[in-house]
Amino acid sequence: MNFKKILPYNRHTFSSFFSFERTPLNVFMLMLTVGLVGFLLYGISVYLQHGHHAYGVTRQHPWGLLIAMYVFFVVSSTGLCIMSSLGHVFNIKAFQIIGKRAIIGAIIAILTGFLVIAFEIGHPVRMVIYNVLTPGLTSAIWWMGTLYGMYLFFIILEFFFLNNGNHKYSKIFGLAGLIVGLAAHSNLGAVFGFLVARPIANGVFFPLYFILSAMVTGSYLLFLIYGWRYKMKFPPEVKKFMVTLAQVLGLLLAILIFFEIWRALTAIYGMMPERGDIAIHMITSKNFLIGEFLLGMLIPFVVIVYSRGRAIKTLVYTSITGMVGIFWMRYDLVHDTQLAPMMPLKIREYSLPPGLVEYTPTSIEWMIAIGAIGVSFMMYYTADKFFNLDHDAKGH
Amino acid sequence: MARYGMALDYKSCINCKACESACKEENGILLGADKHRIWVGVKDIEGIFPDLSISSSGFEPSQCQQCDNAPCQTVCPTNATYYDDNGVVRVNPEQCILCTYCMEACPYDARYIDDRTMTVDKCNFCSDTRLINGETTTACQATCPTKVRIFGDLDDPESEISLVLRARDHHSMKEHLGTKPKLFYLT
Amino acid sequence: MKTELSRRRFLQGTVALSIVGATAAATALAKTEHKSKSKIVDFGLTKTQWSDKLEEIPTLCEMCVNKCAAIARVEDGVLTKLNPNPLFPKSRNMLCARGNAGIQALEDPDRLKYPLIRVGERGEGKFKRVTWDEANEYIKDKMVKIIDEEKDNRSTIGYCAGEGMAEHTYASFMGDKIGSLNYVNHGSICLATTIAGYTLTLGGYGQADLENADYVIMAGANRAEAIVTPDTMDMFKRTKGRGLKMVVVDPRFTNTAAHADTWLPIEVGTDLAFVLAMTHVVMTEERYNKRFCEENLSDFEAYKKHIIDKNYTPEWAQAITGIKADDIRETARDFMAHAPRAIYYQGRRTAWSLQDYQLRRAQAIFSAMGGGIDKKGGIIFGKKLPLGEHSIPSPMYDNALERIEKSKAASIGNSGSWIAWRNTIIDGTAPYPVRAFFAYKQNPMLSIPNTAKTKQMLEKMDLVVVIDTMPSDTVMMADVVLPESLYLEREDPVKSFGGAEPSIALRIPVVEARYDTKPVIEIMRDLGEKLSKPLFEISKKYDESLQEEIEERGEKEVYKEEGYDLADGYRHSQETINHHMVSSVYGEEAWKTLREKGVFYPDMSKYFKKVSANEYEYYPEHKKSYSIIKGDLNNEPYHDTCVDINEIAVLKKKFRTATKKIACALYNFEKRKGVDAMPTWRSELYKETPEGRFKFITGRHGQFTQSGSSNNALLLDLLPENYLWINQRIADAKGIKFGDTVEVRSSIGAIEIKAYPTEKIGKNVVFFIHGFGAESSELTLAHHRGANDNAIIEDVYETTFGSAAMHETIVDIRRV
Repeated sequence: MNFKKILPYNRHTFSSFFSFERTPLNVFMLMLTVGLVGFLLYGISVYLQHGHHAYGVTRQHPWGLLIAMYVFFVVSSTGLCIMSSLGHVFNIKAFQIIGKRAIIGAIIAILTGFLVIAFEIGHPVRMVIYNVLTPGLTSAIWWMGTLYGMYLFFIILEFFFLNNGNHKYSKIFGLAGLIVGLAAHSNLGAVFGFLVARPIANGVFFPLYFILSAMVTGSYLLFLIYGWRYKMKFPPEVKKFMVTLAQVLGLLLAILIFFEIWRALTAIYGMMPERGDIAIHMITSKNFLIGEFLLGMLIPFVVIVYSRGRAIKTLVYTSITGMVGIFWMRYDLVHDTQLAPMMPLKIREYSLPPGLVEYTPTSIEWMIAIGAIGVSFMMYYTADKFFNLDHDAKGH
Repeated sequence: MARYGMALDYKSCINCKACESACKEENGILLGADKHRIWVGVKDIEGIFPDLSISSSGFEPSQCQQCDNAPCQTVCPTNATYYDDNGVVRVNPEQCILCTYCMEACPYDARYIDDRTMTVDKCNFCSDTRLINGETTTACQATCPTKVRIFGDLDDPESEISLVLRARDHHSMKEHLGTKPKLFYLT
Repeated sequence: MKTELSRRRFLQGTVALSIVGATAAATALAKTEHKSKSKIVDFGLTKTQWSDKLEEIPTLCEMCVNKCAAIARVEDGVLTKLNPNPLFPKSRNMLCARGNAGIQALEDPDRLKYPLIRVGERGEGKFKRVTWDEANEYIKDKMVKIIDEEKDNRSTIGYCAGEGMAEHTYASFMGDKIGSLNYVNHGSICLATTIAGYTLTLGGYGQADLENADYVIMAGANRAEAIVTPDTMDMFKRTKGRGLKMVVVDPRFTNTAAHADTWLPIEVGTDLAFVLAMTHVVMTEERYNKRFCEENLSDFEAYKKHIIDKNYTPEWAQAITGIKADDIRETARDFMAHAPRAIYYQGRRTAWSLQDYQLRRAQAIFSAMGGGIDKKGGIIFGKKLPLGEHSIPSPMYDNALERIEKSKAASIGNSGSWIAWRNTIIDGTAPYPVRAFFAYKQNPMLSIPNTAKTKQMLEKMDLVVVIDTMPSDTVMMADVVLPESLYLEREDPVKSFGGAEPSIALRIPVVEARYDTKPVIEIMRDLGEKLSKPLFEISKKYDESLQEEIEERGEKEVYKEEGYDLADGYRHSQETINHHMVSSVYGEEAWKTLREKGVFYPDMSKYFKKVSANEYEYYPEHKKSYSIIKGDLNNEPYHDTCVDINEIAVLKKKFRTATKKIACALYNFEKRKGVDAMPTWRSELYKETPEGRFKFITGRHGQFTQSGSSNNALLLDLLPENYLWINQRIADAKGIKFGDTVEVRSSIGAIEIKAYPTEKIGKNVVFFIHGFGAESSELTLAHHRGANDNAIIEDVYETTFGSAAMHETIVDIRRV
């Protein structure tokens, strides 16, 4: 049987694989990727020697930057999956060109997410074993993990069938991937939303917010992916798609801002302990005001509204700020959830009574978290080399 | 089979930390500021010298509340956290994947990471160090100078703890969360 | 061990001992049969495994001075847990944080392991490992030289000891056998004034019956943090509206104050004014127990007149103490309303001010005025179970001179005045030189006010020998270091504990002694073997009485019978001696019980009951020894409306004082020594704190026992270092924040310490815990951790007993 027939791919020699156009941007990206992967490897080597001691996580703040980064990647994955489904599942015409490229992006993002979480979960191998042997069916993490596993399986199949042109199966697995992905992703929100002890996180907000912010993330990533693919010289059908995407993104951002406003108001109203005080601390922090709000929402939103979605080149750039903002959204959601100490009394005589729990990621955490982006660049480069990710004439 | 609980006559506590050190010695807990199964919380006094509010000061001995409806158990993805036959919330280190979700979920900050097994650990009422060998009480209870703790079977209506809980006012921590703690603070 | 201070031929002790020797040796073998693996568990803690080779051995704790009963769980020769022993009435089935941390003391890698001889400069901390024989040989050479040059004046060998069960073994060797009168122990830096004040007033220090008291004034005593058994356990179960009303008088808001009904912050050093004013209230309002006072207090009317004449009104005291006059009145009235179940707590480490002794007298009389002496719920004396005697002959040395600081205070006893003694050595006023210094279980470099002077004293010595378990700062100053086995590795002299519920308890080894360490009795024996003959030769040279005696009876006999064989009382094992002391009074069965259970008292098996998980009954109520002083019943009808007639003492008791009554006035002491006969406030002895400066006070902590536990890994985990308590507002004004390093400077020195700003202390007082700040680099964990209070505490002492006055130092604070 000819494998190439089942999964068409491009043959490469060693040199052809590494050959690329030596533009300054490409060279920069190469160096960036190598640098990031270097960081990652160094970070991992330190982690393997020192375990969680290499991280800034504590008893009161057990989840740190890597959890945030994991969320960042899986949100990216789900976001790409949802946005691509607009075309080939929901048949919205303008989006039909974003098939393979988005799905491979989703696969890459979730694989990177899994990579990051492997260095956060203490016993990843044991996890795989006992996830099956003694499933904790009341655990949002179990559902999230299991569903993400299925999700990955489905979108790989979807990509497979997209690539060999089997539209029936690609659609089936695309739909399955979307449904399981939505379930997985809202379960990730529930990982936080189920924390009854933490009123700032507890409730319906996170599961919904995760889906919404995933779509925003997906949109930003599509801008970046297509901006990179076409080096800002967009063919007309791509241009048309990107303007539509910008308009959708504008709507999503408006809803997101609306969500955030009501979330803040309901959290602050009445100043319930561990909720009102935390919310005030949250929305007055630089992370939120500059990171989340300005970079993640306001700048792209203003550009979209001001240009009515037509400034797609600017939007490619603002998508970079948008992704930085998305990163801070993930960071803050992890950190703010843990701000209120669960044991509010001091237990050592010569100490100050516990205030809000502090956490500063160590350089090792930064290296692994940011370094992982390099891995996704590498995977994308590889995928781009081996597969034809562009839409065909029929719009797929 | 029993349903073990603990009543704390916490007003007798003098913050001597005998309980914490006995726990560490009995259960082999590593040293380190955030490695403790049990602790004594100190309420910082209010007021200005010399008009301090004695009532605002005080000590709150605490540990895992051994919830009947334990959030840490519900969230465990691999069931590493489980209720044993005596209703004690325990961790099977073989199954723990160190996702630390339980540490997030515990409303009492009662869990920590044991650096030797690299798994989450917590108070288990000395189940594997004392109860299993026929001792009838925990290390913290036995060693306490002012005898803050009463340990026993809540299902036995004649046990000392049952008698005390029937006779004396008490409350539990963060009861509104519905965790149904089996630690009772006598007032 | 008791030594006979005479030339009488007294041999019963040793003879009796040799008879019981054999059986005891057999028991000792059985116990130690189980070979120790001596596994080092480093700083980690062992999880209890319940291995098959498990022993549970009762012993007594030595992490502080309380001697609580513990049961050691030893698995495969490794001590894995110390549990409380419920049988001991004194410790009431508890073991505190320090008791639990005993394992860390045993496992401490910094322990003294081998005998050492100094090779570098003194204080440099350079030693070489030697054998015991080499160490003893070195000591012998130096001592022979000194004693020969000083013409057999044995007092040229000074020695000190900390509190401990084997303190007497050591002290009797140094004092009775070697013959030096220059002994200093912890008394003069601890509770000498209280012991003296209460003994001279009531006939004894007594025990506060906090289990039954209804009212207690805790002044300066901090039983929640400075744990004393059974006081700590008895009181805090009943505070906070549960039966025991407590007034805490303290410049600091302590953990004890957190349990108080009323906290009265007092100006440092003014407690006497407070007690006198309360006495004034009770006298003028006639609220005292008239009947008890009439029957049992001597010179009561004179005292009443004295108090009223001196006009010690609450208003007068308010100006001095800072406590409101109304609060003084209310406390005095409340106290008497609860009397006789009302106690003005005696206190323990009471080396505070220059007026300490009179303060303790005033307290004792005030308590007595309520009738609560030798009475349930008051200060009781209780019973003490007698032990057999172990007597050895002790030589008399004609040329051993009186202790050097005898004239430095009105009454300096055998245990001396540490500060006066040391200062006499360094200021050159001693009538003869003290040239050698032995220290056992005491760390004077950190424990005696003015560390610089202690160092100076040690530097003057021709020989410094230190017996200890840890390389303390004092060990660093030694010429010879003799490592003692840890309390968990040795048997100590059996001890009888008096009180309402008396008992006898025993410390026996739970694991084999590690390294090349020995218990003190063996250290003394070896030294004795080494020193006896050469020192005897010196005495023969200079001691005329001895020369006559030899002429009369022959050298061999005199040497043996007069106790010149210095090792003669130390050749039996401690176990043999203990066996004799117990079985000679209570029989073999009692000895067996004691060794098996760690505790013994007659009818223990009948009386001891577990009431609940937390309650034990040691004696039935009617068998408890609350009132033990006999007297004559006075049946005269008496109308006293203030107190319940059934409650008050109707006995005219015979107290163990000179007058057989509670002594309000001590005219003889005044006549002979010029000490005020009745408690009198001396304003010239009180130093007010100047504006902007601070009085420094020191104290104890529940997770730290002075410098002795300063290297304990588990305890340091609970309390890593000491911090300076400073008033929050003062700190704010000085820009001092929590954790900032500040300098504390007194007239004698300065230290640096981290700040703990708090409202729990007044604006003119600062405080930190004693015992931190070791300089010894051999203490890995304790080295340079926190600050040493005695580097700044001025070396002043009160002039009645020469007791240190540790709360008289004025300091300045500066942010570094």
